[in-house]
Amino acid sequence: MVLSLTVNSDHLSPATNPITPLVVDVLREDFHLTGAKPVCREGFCGACMVLVDGVPILSCLMPAALAVDCEIRTVEGLAVDGTLTPIQAALEACDAVQCGMCFPGMVVTLTHLLTIKPGATRDDIRAALTGNICRCTGYERIVEAALLAVAVR
Amino acid sequence: MPAHPFFDPTEGTGAMNTHSPGSIYVARSLPAALDALNECGSAGAPFAGGTWIMRSPIRNEPHKHHYVAIGKIPELTAIRIDADVVEIGAAVTHAALASALADLPEFDVLATAAGCSANPAIRAMATIGGNLSTSAFAAADCVPALLCLDAEAEVSSRGDQERVGLERFLKIRPTLEPGRLLTRIILPRRDRKTAHARLPLRKSGDYPAAIVSLAVSFDAAARVRAARIAVGSVEPVARRWERLEAALVGRPLDPAQAAEVAAELADEFTGRDSVDMPAWYRVSVVPSLVRRAVVAALDA
Repeated sequence: MVLSLTVNSDHLSPATNPITPLVVDVLREDFHLTGAKPVCREGFCGACMVLVDGVPILSCLMPAALAVDCEIRTVEGLAVDGTLTPIQAALEACDAVQCGMCFPGMVVTLTHLLTIKPGATRDDIRAALTGNICRCTGYERIVEAALLAVAVR
Repeated sequence: MPAHPFFDPTEGTGAMNTHSPGSIYVARSLPAALDALNECGSAGAPFAGGTWIMRSPIRNEPHKHHYVAIGKIPELTAIRIDADVVEIGAAVTHAALASALADLPEFDVLATAAGCSANPAIRAMATIGGNLSTSAFAAADCVPALLCLDAEAEVSSRGDQERVGLERFLKIRPTLEPGRLLTRIILPRRDRKTAHARLPLRKSGDYPAAIVSLAVSFDAAARVRAARIAVGSVEPVARRWERLEAALVGRPLDPAQAAEVAAELADEFTGRDSVDMPAWYRVSVVPSLVRRAVVAALDA
């Protein structure tokens, strides 16, 4: 069967056969959306996180076949016409980005959190980020940026 | 080859991708899933959240040739809360379960188990049915929680359906015939206080060293009338701790006293060794977890 996915509002099919079976591999290898990082490949680090129907999902654990009929949004699809989202702008303003490995996942998680909980507290933010591992251990600036994004809303 | 439209990642290539399932059929109804599982036989298996199956290569375990995805079947993703019973579809995620039970104090044990396991993204994918059906996963949080709630499991196959107690299900699950699927978990509603205590090495993300789940009811004099205590992650399969349950009945529930009795009885457990911690450590923390669970239940 041919696979067809909706990614950042575009309807895409993998360009090559075979169908790459994991969402993270389809995004990176077929659609060249390299924001999601296949780092641990076991659902532990969160670097591969994308929104599937608005929910943060570990794309390293999701077969692409299960994403058919779903709306996938990657970190590349969050900014509209080049305008950063509030959380992206806050992360930049707080100089929170370090090596960048974990960041697409961090942005996806925080985007979802601020959608479902616009008044998120420090504890809410820390709880939401428990599945996102920062190799640079730069958590405090990330949390501060999220609080800034909450404050400016 | 099954008659259902499986997505086959190696179709036409002659290649085998050992990091991926062979093929996946996304079932839209329970009869379709049962038909597909029946057709696949031992070459197939159900695929719920996939958080265990997709990590098979890390455990050096081969994937099945066919998987039948059950996560889009409406009746398996529903939770029904009635006056005397709660029924949970096998494909309900941990996150959905924790949310649905948040306002039902008698199920604090299960809401906590579902709401604190692993990490938020895993909880959005991993299902209650997968948690119960994965024989090799000793540290599943929901298993001891459901044991202390006297849960029953509904197992379906093409043309047949049966309901068994959870302890019985845990015994038969490693040898469940191909084509049989855990479809629902049924919980009786009772007036009780419940709590779930777990000890991961870090606050979240890790598998717990040990888990204690507790459900107690009281008589008019505030003495324990009935107790259910289950221990998970210490041994390969979670189980009830009946000697401790019996020791608590007939007296007021006291955290220090419960922990003291637990310490006296803990030698009945044979801990499991693993790379992250030795067997003795798992057993040694159980009395403290009993105390924490009792404190949490009394505060509930």
